[in-house]
Amino acid sequence: MSAGGAVLLETTGMSRAFGGLKAVDNVSFALREGIVTALVGPNGAGKTTLFNLITGHLDPNAGDVTWLGKSIKGVPHWKIARSGIGRTFQDLKLFDQMTVQENVQTVTERGAWLWQPGGKAGLAERRARAEHALAAVRLADRRHARAVDLAYAERKFLSVARILASGARLWLLDEPASGLDPGSYERFVTLVRDQLRHGITVCIIEHNLDIVKGISDRIAFLDQGRLLADGDPASILADPALAAIYFGERAA
Amino acid sequence: MLAYLNNLAVLISINAILAVTLNFVLGYAGIFSLAHAVFFGVGAYTSALVAMKLGGGFLLSTAAAMAASALISLALALPALRVRGEYFVAASLGLQMLALTVFSEWKVVTGGIGGISNIPPARFPGFEISSPAQYLVLALGCLALVMLVVALLVRSSFGRSLKAIRDDETAASAFGKNVAVIKTIAVAVSSALAAVAGSLYAFYLSFVNVESFTLDTSVYLMAMVIIGGTATLVGPVVGAVLILLLPAALSYLPGLPQTEVGSIQQIVYGLAMVLLMIFRPGGLWGFRDQSRGDR
Amino acid sequence: MLLLQLLINGLQLGAIYALTAVGFALIFGSTKVFHVAHGAAFTLAGYLFWWSINAQEWHWAVGLALAVAVVVAFGLFMERFIYRPIQRHEGAFFTVFVAAFGMQVIVQNLVGMVFGRGFETVTVSLSRAAEIAPGLFVAPIAGIAIVVAIVFFIGLNLFLLHTHVGTGLRALADNPDLVRVFGLEPTRLAQVAFGLGSALVVPAAALTAMSQGINPGIGAHIMLISLAATIVGGIGSLKGAAYGGFLLGLAESLAVWKLDPQWSEAVTFVILFVFIIFRPAGFLGRAQGAK
Repeated sequence: MSAGGAVLLETTGMSRAFGGLKAVDNVSFALREGIVTALVGPNGAGKTTLFNLITGHLDPNAGDVTWLGKSIKGVPHWKIARSGIGRTFQDLKLFDQMTVQENVQTVTERGAWLWQPGGKAGLAERRARAEHALAAVRLADRRHARAVDLAYAERKFLSVARILASGARLWLLDEPASGLDPGSYERFVTLVRDQLRHGITVCIIEHNLDIVKGISDRIAFLDQGRLLADGDPASILADPALAAIYFGERAA
Repeated sequence: MLAYLNNLAVLISINAILAVTLNFVLGYAGIFSLAHAVFFGVGAYTSALVAMKLGGGFLLSTAAAMAASALISLALALPALRVRGEYFVAASLGLQMLALTVFSEWKVVTGGIGGISNIPPARFPGFEISSPAQYLVLALGCLALVMLVVALLVRSSFGRSLKAIRDDETAASAFGKNVAVIKTIAVAVSSALAAVAGSLYAFYLSFVNVESFTLDTSVYLMAMVIIGGTATLVGPVVGAVLILLLPAALSYLPGLPQTEVGSIQQIVYGLAMVLLMIFRPGGLWGFRDQSRGDR
Repeated sequence: MLLLQLLINGLQLGAIYALTAVGFALIFGSTKVFHVAHGAAFTLAGYLFWWSINAQEWHWAVGLALAVAVVVAFGLFMERFIYRPIQRHEGAFFTVFVAAFGMQVIVQNLVGMVFGRGFETVTVSLSRAAEIAPGLFVAPIAGIAIVVAIVFFIGLNLFLLHTHVGTGLRALADNPDLVRVFGLEPTRLAQVAFGLGSALVVPAAALTAMSQGINPGIGAHIMLISLAATIVGGIGSLKGAAYGGFLLGLAESLAVWKLDPQWSEAVTFVILFVFIIFRPAGFLGRAQGAK
């Protein structure tokens, strides 16, 4: 498991509270290029909230987040998406009434005007990206099916296809593999490893510790909004105190 | 009889344009506007004024009407689209009611409650549209053109963005789409095209007044879109045909007092709206099954 | 004097808007259903009250009781047979709104067919204005309207704060899943919300019948302004809806001081617009977090 390249995204002292509840509490960590960082922790630890803070869906109460050295705090989330940070959602949020092809096509079309910039060359490039994404997740033969009609595993892969087609450099994946059968899971891991070789960086929220063991280069352990550990997977997973927290042996 | 049918056909075409353009924002973008009659009205008044005061022909008047409508729609869209769906409905309602007062009271421009009359016939370079049959051709031509524009937009990247926003706005913006701008453009386009119907209306009747642009009209148009079916191109046209044929159909029913036909008509489409929403939200011509997989 | 007159008129009008707005806000806040058919409840209440007194010459208490019974039944009917089936399979905002709107259209026209389309009033001694000061005409109904509104709001507040069901309604508004923990069923609570919210229109409708008069479109008209009041006051806040109602009533009435009467209604919608642009959360609404 490598230690990763340069720091792409960094949070410093990020905090966010809802009412009196501290969902994220003074979290500082970094995502390094070319590796998979897993974000783990018991339910309600603040993992998805942390993603929301990074992508700009939520504003932090304190702290900062930088992308490629520049602060992105307060930047509208669609702009953050355009700068290269992509994410998937726990509930997928597919464009259900649209076809597989359209789902993948539309994420390549960011321009708000009536036609996309780039002319014929741009069109060809976007088409290529969409086709490549469909091929990578093996959904090319289902391209005309509506997203809502797909099987569960196919929907999960469509979600990955979308982020692949979008050209994002950093992938924030929120439980992308939950509920997948072993075969599909293997395909997923191969896909992610392949993308790493092409320069993608991944941060993945995952509950299943076996999955985490198999895929991550670094682990960040969150509990009740606080970052308890951040580093090498082997040592973190072997730590009995963290295991106790993870499995809820501490009093509620 | 022929004159009657001709008239009906022209009115259906005009309403079909309005329904198709309303569906563009409602069905494809999921934007709920109750102010569509406002843009119909702005189009009609602008067209009439350009024709009468500037001697404009059909093309010039309609272009002016489209520009005016698009501009006014920005006034609605820019603030309202930043907020959630319920607020937009309220804002559109607010705009509709405001427009009603403006149409009725701004006598200098709109002629007040009396409206504008003696609008000259629609003129093209070289000839004038004078007979009802010619108006029908013009109306159908405009309808075809509007439908073509809408069809092209829907099949384009813009149309996909709209549908993505309709299906899941959070995801759409998470993939870099500037949702507010896209929705604003959609509203502006829809309003501009609705103004075409307004222009046709003004020239055809030679008369416009506020009565045609009330909240009732907006509701009427919404009913057409819903009953005909959202998110398809043909649905709203079907809706327009059904709703406009309803009074005629009702008058054939025996034992129906003439004074109550208006009320019964409204009850019928109110009932249609309620029943459709319970049993067939996609409308008569919509998707067979609108159920969402992972709700 | 004119200003004082307009102020009192405004408060009377405001009381009517506030009552209707709070009823709507209660329903929408607890169940998230955009129940624009609330206006239909208003129309029904007004006409039943008027019919009981004018046509049947019953005692006003009977008229009110009848109105309450029918309006509550209407609210429960809408919840059980219209909104619940819709929410079961799709429940999108759009679908619910359209169904509610359709219902509103049906009721408005039925009422027009049965009772006629003209303006009707209930003239009782209370509606007769007395000149209590030079140039100041006030009918007892004005004072009654304001007092009634306040009494109902206090009562509602007590109900929501101190009863088990009331707490359940508040919980439903904030966190529907938590409700089951309290041993309450969300569907039963929804019924309570609809019944109670609908009942609140009865005093408002009765007051309207006794003062300005009613016509089949009155419900839709009042609903429109109550909707504006809910937004101005802050979606999610009952107090806000009440304040919004009074504010808009005052604004509409005071507008006559400087503007032509025809423009007074426009003032309401200008205020609505301004709030949507600059402060969508309204006066007391909870600021909406990012999506």
